[in-house]
Amino acid sequence: MTVAADKPRRTARTPRKGKDRVRKTSFTQALNGALDLAMEKHDEMFLIGEDIAEMGGDFGVTKGLLAKYGAERVRDTPLSEAAIIGTCAGAAMVGMRPVAEIMFADFIAECYDQVVNNVAKLHYMFDGQFTAPLVIRTACGGGFGGGPHHSQSIEGWFLNVPGIVIAAPSNPVDAKGLLLASIDSDDPVLFLEHKALYRSRAEVPPEYYTTPLGKASIAREGRDVTVVAAMRMVPMALEAAETAAADGISVEVVDLRTIRPYDATTVLASASKTGRVVVANEAPRIGGLGAELSARISEECFAQLRGPVVRVDGLDTPIPFSVPLENIVLPDSDNIAVAIKAAAQY
Amino acid sequence: MDTSTLKGLYRDMWLIRAFEQGLEREFEQGNVPGMLHTGLGQEATQAALAAHLEATDAFFPDHRCHGINALAQHRHGGNGERIMAELFGRATGVCSGKGGSLHSADPTVGNFGDNAVEGSYMATVLGVALAAKMRGEPNVACAIIGDGTVGRGEFHESLNMAAIWDLPVLYACVNNGYAISMPVGEGHATADIVELAKGYGIANQQVDGNDIVEAWTAVGDAVGRIRSGEGPYFLEFKTWRWQGIFAGEFRPEAEVKYWREERDPIMLAAEALAKRGATPAELDAIEAETRDLIEEWISFAKDSPAPDPAKATADVYAGWEVAAR
Repeated sequence: MTVAADKPRRTARTPRKGKDRVRKTSFTQALNGALDLAMEKHDEMFLIGEDIAEMGGDFGVTKGLLAKYGAERVRDTPLSEAAIIGTCAGAAMVGMRPVAEIMFADFIAECYDQVVNNVAKLHYMFDGQFTAPLVIRTACGGGFGGGPHHSQSIEGWFLNVPGIVIAAPSNPVDAKGLLLASIDSDDPVLFLEHKALYRSRAEVPPEYYTTPLGKASIAREGRDVTVVAAMRMVPMALEAAETAAADGISVEVVDLRTIRPYDATTVLASASKTGRVVVANEAPRIGGLGAELSARISEECFAQLRGPVVRVDGLDTPIPFSVPLENIVLPDSDNIAVAIKAAAQY
Repeated sequence: MDTSTLKGLYRDMWLIRAFEQGLEREFEQGNVPGMLHTGLGQEATQAALAAHLEATDAFFPDHRCHGINALAQHRHGGNGERIMAELFGRATGVCSGKGGSLHSADPTVGNFGDNAVEGSYMATVLGVALAAKMRGEPNVACAIIGDGTVGRGEFHESLNMAAIWDLPVLYACVNNGYAISMPVGEGHATADIVELAKGYGIANQQVDGNDIVEAWTAVGDAVGRIRSGEGPYFLEFKTWRWQGIFAGEFRPEAEVKYWREERDPIMLAAEALAKRGATPAELDAIEAETRDLIEEWISFAKDSPAPDPAKATADVYAGWEVAAR
């Protein structure tokens, strides 16, 4: 994260004048803007995490917020993930609205008990007397040589945990809208930021807006095959859809946006419409998001399906460091394209 | 301590003992589901804490917490029977029967709920304390823990964060000598837990947890310091639990005899009151009165209905409904 090296690139990207005046915003900047707007809106909100204050976080998402909101509300911590999430839970129990950053999603294992046994159950086990309006932002996913402890897709670890919401944006516009919706929500949200998406750019409205939690979007309309995806798998699915279009296959891409509770209505409607489904998921296959979606679609759309649901997942391995090996383990748009073809030709 | 305060605490201790003994009886008869961890033998510690914590404070009760839960509910809510009903899993319980012994909470009386994973609320307490500090409220956030909790990472994360942020946390470590079956000296680098607080630079005191006067005085001093903004405080109560383990009694006979016959906190308080002129009849009346009250609470619990079936799927999320089967 060398600021000096970033500068010329940013300048080069900024259009000077003319019709193309809208400067495209990165996923990182969109999140930063969302946090800024939310901090203005919610006096009871604070940010907490490792190296988020002066440094602005490992990926720069909280950059500049310390200067604007001060150290009380932009709070650096020691390497104590359990204490970070516990602090959020306790503060939320008395009406605060904390947003934590867990630097890498892999580190959530350090506070897994807090999330699973405390945060996710607070509302239920105490009969609704407490709510847990907190957000846990974390950088997940592979594809950059991060190795076994900086690359994992962790949504599967939480799929079996009632009470937690999992938001998983695939683009800067949804990243901002979903983060603002997550902060507004009275439920605890695990907010997944795929590292490979941080540099993606789009025209992001500068004002306050929310993207509803629990609602998928149709990222591309199509007739022949549905691909259900989230986060980085969405741009990959869109790329694969282009490849398929060249072969005369019309692909519909459903962007889940929220993984738990997920938008079964949209998923099942699309699956029923096309009758052929590919489920794309970066995490290992067994017991993951793909398994859940495949089962649900097979169970509820059996009569409409014209072939088995095809799963594209990560291999059943940890993530190796060496990039050529990592490329073998993680799925890509070619894998999705092959799966689309298989589904279409079944 | 004046005599009327001591008498009040004596009554509180009897309320805890009667509660736990009544509960034990009902448990043995199969009327109370789940598991049972009683606070018998630890009444002085619980009564001392309950006496100084206000409804606006927050306490996270420990595994042997029925006593302090009942006292807080009785004192601040006037409805101690709702703790009993919770243990019976009834609709009238503080959590409509969804929490039970290890998850009874009622924030209106300052009870923020136990968590059956030891150490968990060592982290949670930080957030309640941080909120109080950010809002400028003079509230105390209290984590009541056992000696076994010291083995958990959150114990150390919590002491460290409370120290660096000067948070208004009262750590009340009820050192009863054993984490289930593990003696405190074998499970931890020191049998004197207070030594660990010193390492984090936290003000601390080790007290005789079976001496109600000493325990009450220490809690009052600690709470006063925390309210005045002096940061966290760590109290270690040396005590002993009457209940063995599920497999039965495992501790040396002489040890059991010593603690039950010579160090019973209620007996010690009765002796202190007798020295101040209380008559045996007066003390017996306090015991009888609390036992009667607890029987009323037990009847209330038994007469209460089971929770509404809709509660099974209610409140999983604040913003979504979860489908029934």
